[in-house]
Amino acid sequence: MSLFRLYSAALARMNLRAASLFVPRRDRADWIAEWTAELYHLCHGCAGGAPGAGPFAFSLGAFRDAFWIRCERLRSATRPVLQSGSAPRCGLVLTAFAAIGFLACLSLPRARTALLPIHALPPADLVMISSAGYAGVQSPSIPLENYQEWRTDTDKLFSQIAWYHPSVRNVYVMHQRTARLSIALASANLLGVLGVPGGGSPARSPNGARLILSRAAWRSWYHSDPNLVGRTASIDGRPVPIAGVLPDDDNEQLPGGMEAWLLEDEHALGQLPPQARGFVFARIRGSAFPAPRGGVRIMTETRAGVTPSFKCISVAWLARQPTSNFFFALLLACMALPATTALPLGDYRDRLALSVRARRWVFLALKFVLVLAVVYPTSIALAWGPSLPGSTAVFLQVATAFLALLFGFRWILEDQRRRCPQCLRLLSNPARVGQASCNFLSWNGTELFCDRGHGLLHIPELATSWFSTQRWLCLDSSWLCLFPETRAPSPGMV
Amino acid sequence: MPVDAKLSHTAAIVLQAIHAGHVYGFSVMQMTGLPSGTVYPAMRRLERDGLILSKWEQQSIADADQRPPRKYYRLTRSGKATLQAIYQRYPLLERMIPSPEEQRA
Repeated sequence: MSLFRLYSAALARMNLRAASLFVPRRDRADWIAEWTAELYHLCHGCAGGAPGAGPFAFSLGAFRDAFWIRCERLRSATRPVLQSGSAPRCGLVLTAFAAIGFLACLSLPRARTALLPIHALPPADLVMISSAGYAGVQSPSIPLENYQEWRTDTDKLFSQIAWYHPSVRNVYVMHQRTARLSIALASANLLGVLGVPGGGSPARSPNGARLILSRAAWRSWYHSDPNLVGRTASIDGRPVPIAGVLPDDDNEQLPGGMEAWLLEDEHALGQLPPQARGFVFARIRGSAFPAPRGGVRIMTETRAGVTPSFKCISVAWLARQPTSNFFFALLLACMALPATTALPLGDYRDRLALSVRARRWVFLALKFVLVLAVVYPTSIALAWGPSLPGSTAVFLQVATAFLALLFGFRWILEDQRRRCPQCLRLLSNPARVGQASCNFLSWNGTELFCDRGHGLLHIPELATSWFSTQRWLCLDSSWLCLFPETRAPSPGMV
Repeated sequence: MPVDAKLSHTAAIVLQAIHAGHVYGFSVMQMTGLPSGTVYPAMRRLERDGLILSKWEQQSIADADQRPPRKYYRLTRSGKATLQAIYQRYPLLERMIPSPEEQRA
């Protein structure tokens, strides 16, 4: 043997050793033995002209062998999970849908606030006053003159009251740029009423005005400048100090989609037209005005012989509303479910062990939980993600959640009835037996069987007193030879 | 595996090579021209599907020849039946790698 061939064989042996490290430990010895034997014959016999027949090329092929073994292992490990109709696959698909729903919800700022109200749960005594009822929650409904009267007249009802009016103003921002921002002209105590801690920098303009930016405006117009507070912004040519940046949670609970709040004293607000409409927030006095029952309490006042009514809507209730809507839709779906499908799951008493029955019920419960986890965030994302009026969003959420839950629950029950109680895989090969019009008293219906030979499911075509619901028939092990999936693996199985 | 199972072209060639008497991996490589990284996985797959069987050579025989023992492959009954079915799909297979019976004829 030439020196070159010796060198090549030594290199090939090293390669085989390296490739064997990628082979699972259980099969490693077998593969090394086969590779080594083949390499020996390759080196000592006639190499022939086959491609890849040189020792080095042969040893490189060992890496492909090792890669194939790994892929086979992975495939066989994931096969039961990914197999069509298997219970793990069903769970995985539902989990994936739930994850997509939650991600969609978290990616939309308004939907995120609706989904996770705990972070931004407002004070219990904070209410929003609207003249248009719940529909007025998302649009300004209270004229300035009403607010000014309530400031002095409602001391016994409210400990604090604040108002803001949405407008669009030209604001000079960084780098010689002017932007048109949605700015709320607000009473100076707005942040205090909302319970925002701090209230920003004490810097104020000579007339007491100060500007609070939303976090989104701070990011987009001022590039998240950490030294911004204390500087002066120019609003329609009027210099106003920037007093702070409002956290996202506080910003998103305020209607109107404002980018900044110009907090001014009452004298400056008085320059606005008396009919300018805005949003009113107030803190109710617990002694004189009990917390709104069911989230809403009606306040009336008589003026010039007319008694208009205003609704005091709890802001905490508004924050919890998406969850309340979901539970309402859940209740409706549960009530409507028996009208769309039969509730019994069938007769499964035939020789089923307690653990098998328990697993089947756990799987059913898991499907219910996962469907709830899919529908809850999805309905919130659909209804509260876009900027829709409050009542429209509520209707949309209830409608989508109700329909999705109803059809989801219906699917759960039908899916459960079509599964083998032992392996929880979907039954297959439906066969129609009999014809009711020809043999009325004989057995008519459909039969399905489990691919793994666990049993047969009989579904009657006509419910009778002796066969009213679907019935499961267990097959003993003598039937297993008929089912290819239960054959013993070949002795040489990798 | 059922007799009418569809094998890939590579697997069919490897099966025919083993049937033709090329009973170990390197011999199959030489006969078919397939590289080592293809032949061994194909043989493992065929073995898993019950079409071929492997058997290690006796250690005493290998020791007598002062070489490592070798792994030999042979067709099972199911493998032979599958191969007969495969000839209809790949008619040239038998002529490309003639079986011992054909060689004798």
